[in-house]
Amino acid sequence: MKIPYGWVREFVDVKLSAQDAADRLVNAGLEVASVTPLAPSGLRGVVVGEIESVERELGESRGHRLMVCRVRARGAQRFSVVCGAPNTRAGARAAFAPPGATLPGLGVVAAKKIHGVESEGILCSERELGLGDEHEAGLLLLDGDAVVGADLVKQLGLDDHVLEIEITPNRPDCLSVLGVARELAALTGARLRPPDLRLREDQRRATELARVRIEAPDFCPRYTLRVIDGVRVAPSPAWMQSRLRAAGLRPISNVVDITNYVLWELGHPLHAFDAARVTDATIIVRRARPAEPFTTLDGQRRTLDASMCVIADSERTVGLAGVMGGENSEVTEATTRVLLESAYFDPGTTRRTSRTLGLKTDAAYRFERGADIEGLVDASARAARLVAELAGGVVARGMIDVYPRKRRPVRVRLRMARVKRVLGVAPPAAQARRILTGLGLGVRARGADLEVSVPSFRRDLAIEDDLVEEVIRVWGYDRIPTTVGRVSVALARDSDRGRQERTVRQVLVGAGLSECVTYAFSDPVRAGALGASSALKLLNPLSQDASALRAHPLEGLLGVIGTNLRRQAPAVCVFEICRTYERDVAGDTETAEPRWVALALAGARADAAWHTPAAAADVYDAKGLAELVLAEFGFRPETKTGGQLSGFEPDSHATLVVAGAALGEFGEVAASTREAFGIDAPVFAAVLPLDRGVPIARQTPRYAPLPRFPAVQRDMAFAMGERPVTAAAIAEAIRAEAGPLLRGLAVFDVFPLPDGRRSIAFRLTFQADDRTLTDDEVNVIHARVAQRVGDARGLTLRGGEAP
Amino acid sequence: MSHPRVEAVAAEARAAIGAAASSAELEAIRVRYLGRSGEVTQILKSLGSLAPEERPQVGAAANEAKRELEELLERRLDAARAAERRRQRERERPDLTLPGRRPPRGSLHPLTRVREEIVTIFTGLGFSVAEGPEIETDAYNFEALNIPRDHPARDMQDTFYLSPETLLRTHTSPVQIRAMRAQKPPVRIICPGVVYRRDADITHSPMFHQVEGFAVDHDVTMADLKGTLDLFAREMFGPRSKIRFRPSFFPFTEPSAEVDVVCFLCAGAGCRVCSQSGWLEILGSGMVHPQVLKNVGYDPEEVTGWAFGMGIERIAMLKYGVDDIRLFFENDLRFLNQFA
Repeated sequence: MKIPYGWVREFVDVKLSAQDAADRLVNAGLEVASVTPLAPSGLRGVVVGEIESVERELGESRGHRLMVCRVRARGAQRFSVVCGAPNTRAGARAAFAPPGATLPGLGVVAAKKIHGVESEGILCSERELGLGDEHEAGLLLLDGDAVVGADLVKQLGLDDHVLEIEITPNRPDCLSVLGVARELAALTGARLRPPDLRLREDQRRATELARVRIEAPDFCPRYTLRVIDGVRVAPSPAWMQSRLRAAGLRPISNVVDITNYVLWELGHPLHAFDAARVTDATIIVRRARPAEPFTTLDGQRRTLDASMCVIADSERTVGLAGVMGGENSEVTEATTRVLLESAYFDPGTTRRTSRTLGLKTDAAYRFERGADIEGLVDASARAARLVAELAGGVVARGMIDVYPRKRRPVRVRLRMARVKRVLGVAPPAAQARRILTGLGLGVRARGADLEVSVPSFRRDLAIEDDLVEEVIRVWGYDRIPTTVGRVSVALARDSDRGRQERTVRQVLVGAGLSECVTYAFSDPVRAGALGASSALKLLNPLSQDASALRAHPLEGLLGVIGTNLRRQAPAVCVFEICRTYERDVAGDTETAEPRWVALALAGARADAAWHTPAAAADVYDAKGLAELVLAEFGFRPETKTGGQLSGFEPDSHATLVVAGAALGEFGEVAASTREAFGIDAPVFAAVLPLDRGVPIARQTPRYAPLPRFPAVQRDMAFAMGERPVTAAAIAEAIRAEAGPLLRGLAVFDVFPLPDGRRSIAFRLTFQADDRTLTDDEVNVIHARVAQRVGDARGLTLRGGEAP
Repeated sequence: MSHPRVEAVAAEARAAIGAAASSAELEAIRVRYLGRSGEVTQILKSLGSLAPEERPQVGAAANEAKRELEELLERRLDAARAAERRRQRERERPDLTLPGRRPPRGSLHPLTRVREEIVTIFTGLGFSVAEGPEIETDAYNFEALNIPRDHPARDMQDTFYLSPETLLRTHTSPVQIRAMRAQKPPVRIICPGVVYRRDADITHSPMFHQVEGFAVDHDVTMADLKGTLDLFAREMFGPRSKIRFRPSFFPFTEPSAEVDVVCFLCAGAGCRVCSQSGWLEILGSGMVHPQVLKNVGYDPEEVTGWAFGMGIERIAMLKYGVDDIRLFFENDLRFLNQFA
């Protein structure tokens, strides 16, 4: 909210500069976003000049008739100035920049020859002064009573600053010049001078001229009306217009400007009806009818519903209560009698109405935060006084005041012991009393404590701790000391999940993967390509491609791979710990958020290096990384082909299993899936659920004695037959056949033979706990294993290492 | 002792040894003169065919020459081999300026780093970690926290809804409610987590991370809150860091405070990052509102509490000088690897 500081100082006698005042307000909790001078920067030394005479014409220049003028500025000084403005005439008072003045766009003004004549300064247009866009119309002319030689900035009331204040929702009382002035008074001890509300009233009573009936007291607990007759609608005076402009409001006409002026000044929204356009001069406050059409004064046709409150006459609706007036009853140039509304509308109703219609107004903004149900009387009087003064109105005696739901007085007891208990420090009671009084609260001492009566403009003060905040806010947050309190000895630790996730991160970062964090939002198109459409959709997404929640743990990472490959990354090895979101009957939100670790690889296995031949990542990298994570938790899983998750190539997709439980899946991402993510290179991925299977931490390992006798190694290679046999099946057969002396089995070579069959070579390690094995002993086992496994699985034993 | 025939062979051998350029040539000379059918060996083998009076003379001379040549060859071979080894090493000298063979090493996400740093500081101060769901009820996210329906305070947190009653949590504060309902005071808990607000520009992300911390006990004061955050700031931003409390408004704390830390780029002098103010806003905090304590079944006359919440992205942006929040979620490897 823009608050001109000069306006504030009308109501409080502070000597502070605008910036110092802003600092004090910030320290008391009123966020001042900026302090801006009202005058354009670079406008200095420009004065009110009088064109005494137009001496001669110099001819045409770019469509303008140039004239030499004699300009009077300070005292006896006269300037000869060349000017081409169409509104140049003798006797006019205009903005004049003598040599040495500075103008926003032009810099320092110097005497200069124009068409052979020395021009001593510049007569200025609005644009040259930086005050507006107007230039062609000519000079900025001033009223005849402007003092010649006076500083232009002062003359126009621009020697002021505007405070841009951001008011938190609890302080609607500060949405006004007076509210800010009251804060400054409390903070500085300066006296508050509220505006003049005295009113000359006519003989005729308002109650004889108009009537008010409230049919919806829950929506409108108080409605007042003043009647002002003999109004002449015209533009408002320059001082009011310039204040409204400084506050960011657009001047319209005197009556409307006055309601806006009082809104800004006192914070209470008012509305003026043209009495001639309100049937029977009778105001009825009632619920809107279902689907009731209504045209607001912005010309928009709107459809209301029964949850909304309207102002009506006996025939039709004339206003949307607390939000905006109607086109059918607005004040126009023809208006002579005005009905001035000052009412209180229910905050929740106003907010719902404003949001339902998408109609945000200054009035609604204040009513939804809570207006001042008592102070609205002052706002009405202030506006009536201004209408009488500036629009020639005659104010009828009294005010129609329908107040069915009277505000109950709010009294709160403040125990000084409570102040100390909450803050750890407390001012003396007398100081606290001064602070609260300064804020406009009624305070009485009650023993060591204070009995506080809260005025109607401070709706935010309802409980004792609210007063604790008021006291410390004004006394100063910097008076709160720093302590760390009683230190209780307790075992503090990370959560189980936190520790588990940390372990996973350490393993994968150690293995060369970069951790990612992706949005939990899901794109239905991409999720569809992953075969995992989300059951959970947002009612109000920011965009269609972020309109659901992640249902497949790889959606984020595939996006990351696409992005990085498009940006020419040669190797993308990434992982993410993420959640998916699904429906679940349990829990108060009927949803579940299982956690996953997902990893994905594309392109090279690692960045190119001189010592390692370049190699593309493949499915065994994905598998190995998954195994590495599981190994950290003490698992050595088996591999079963196929899996539950969608999005993998059917022939390159497997599940890692321990004791029948699936601990993760890996494989190559289906080509059709990755294409939906704009990826044209193969992607290999693995996914492990963290809430089932993977435990929180590894079980404590048990020590096994080290072998005392040497091991013997033998290699064995088979050529696969027609029937495909898996490495796991061969290994299982070797183990079963070799018996307990086989202590180690590794696949050390796999390659295609010239005839197209596949060769697979195993290294067997034999060892006994109680003796050194002899070659003969090992050779017998090895030969038996080679022959029986080969026969049973249809494999041909290749050269290998002959016994 | 010499003998002209032996001497002739020996002289020839000496000359050959002297002229030899490599260990291989020297080996060849050994074979030629001292090998099984070498010239000196032949002389010794043929002693039997000599006249008896010549035999001792020639034999002694040949044996003498053999010893002499063996010794000479040994010396020259040692020297030649040493020279050859030197040349060999010279040729194979490693280029130690080549890059080392590093085991692969990935990177933790910068948001993870900052979160871990914050969590570590607070667990060190006796706070336990708690977590909660990201999909929350309106009751936990708003109403239990003193933010009723149709209250303008809801404008402070623009919300994604899944249904009229369920939403993506807009702050980690519902974890406060869940934790307090689950245990009796004293509680000292910190909850890191993902939160969502319907807002997107270079400093606002629709999804971001927060850390919430709170303490409830019989005599917890705002001074303790200030002291704890002061300790935190000095751990997080350096020992000379300072904080400042400013009054503010949150529906679930009373009194409420916005907390600023002295700008660590300009040390308070004023710079572009702190908009010339010398201070950076880092978190919101306050004393837990008595109504919130009542909502979880605590008696506000018995216990008091404080709470704070900070955005991890905000801290990470300040700490690492990141000027666009979207970089954290884009996961460009050239960005991520700067935090390896």
